[in-house]
Amino acid sequence: MYQTADIRKGLKVEIDGKPYTVVEFQFVKPGKGQAFTRTKLKNLINGNVLDRTFKSGESLAEADVEDFQMQFLYADDEAYHCMNMETYDQVAVQKKTVGDAAKWLVEEMMVDVLFYKGNPVTVQLANFVELEITYCEPGMKGNTAQGATKPATVSTGAQVNVPLFVENGTWIKIDTRTGDYVERVKK
Amino acid sequence: MNPAGVRARAQLLRAIRAWFADHGYLEVPTATLVPSPAMEEFLFPIAAGSGFLRTSPEFALKRVIAAGLPRIYEIGPCFRDREVGPWHATEFTMLEWYRAGAALSDLMDEVEAIVAIAAHAIDAKPPGPWRRVTVRTLFEEATGVDLAVASATDISSAEEGWDDAFFRRWVTDVEPGITQPTLVYDWPASQAALARIRDDGEWPVACRFEAYVGGVELANAFLELTDATEQRRRFASANMARAMAGEPPHPVDDAFVQAVGHMPRTAGIAMGLDRLIAALSGWESIAPGRVD
Repeated sequence: MYQTADIRKGLKVEIDGKPYTVVEFQFVKPGKGQAFTRTKLKNLINGNVLDRTFKSGESLAEADVEDFQMQFLYADDEAYHCMNMETYDQVAVQKKTVGDAAKWLVEEMMVDVLFYKGNPVTVQLANFVELEITYCEPGMKGNTAQGATKPATVSTGAQVNVPLFVENGTWIKIDTRTGDYVERVKK
Repeated sequence: MNPAGVRARAQLLRAIRAWFADHGYLEVPTATLVPSPAMEEFLFPIAAGSGFLRTSPEFALKRVIAAGLPRIYEIGPCFRDREVGPWHATEFTMLEWYRAGAALSDLMDEVEAIVAIAAHAIDAKPPGPWRRVTVRTLFEEATGVDLAVASATDISSAEEGWDDAFFRRWVTDVEPGITQPTLVYDWPASQAALARIRDDGEWPVACRFEAYVGGVELANAFLELTDATEQRRRFASANMARAMAGEPPHPVDDAFVQAVGHMPRTAGIAMGLDRLIAALSGWESIAPGRVD
């Protein structure tokens, strides 16, 4: 059990039988009342955000969650299959829990697999991934317009907007949280 | 702390002292080390030597009002244990003033004036227009719950007393929506503290208001209780609640209780100066204006 004084960003708590992580918290004390901690909590399975307020001294249940670094092996119709590189245990994570970031997954990529009560519930990609561009229109010579972009397709089949000077076959760094191009990388 | 914050604080203090001087108020420094630091259930004083550090200068200033000085103010440090966060510090600077013969609406006018001159002093945009609204209206706008008829379970699904239910919804659903500068009045009678209670309308209310700027509670005003017997009863009832929560009782300040009975009709207000500077400056916390 946690007390309100333990509340920190990233603390994993269980509310109404679901695991949440604290994304924001603030101590509030109305002039004539009890102190409270106002929080924003993110559901670790579906990402939904919840506002909750805890009275000083109230206790919060610890969420039974664990993170493991695993290697992504392959996807089939229902699941993403990953392997723990230390124990060689393989797990299948239901596809519906991975969400939009799945479009950046390539085989052998290292990912975080979150377990809730012993079951794998989500795959979390690194904040940045490096992928090869498999198709884009050729860059136009002499076009130096600041900030101009063109669509490009990467090896996973996903699309990303890149600056005009980026060529076919280039490796680029992508921010998986926003889906934005960051920079070219040497491979 | 940042140098601009420290400069802002000095300019603001100068402007506020000038305003009070212009309006006939006497600056009255009172003791910081006191025998009786508070009356309210949820104030946690710090013991020091043979007494306590004050949680506000209220008791001392009311003795001065009872002694016949009608317009007084004090600016100085106050101490409240267990209050730490972006908008709280254990030691903070309070501006407190009392005006004999005044109504709460007079203090509302003064709050608007002081916030405006404070903004001017630090080259911030004066907040406005102000809204004056009752707790009941504001609560109903945000939650759909009418406090005059609601039970604790109508207000919050957590099993708790009426005041805790009220404050849980207040801090979760009402306060975050107070973005306009607002003076919120007519609080539930159970939260009167040292204010008079009025029971001539649809529900009993405490003659109190709180001032919000930039979503932050800056000040709390009372139409002051002037009945010594009732004052003694409130001390006892707050101490009873503290005992039930396993907290030590607040020592009763007899000189203060007697003085309450000799006070003329008075309105008084306490304003957090660290918060005033931060709210006017648009900071995310009180820290830049403080030297800790």
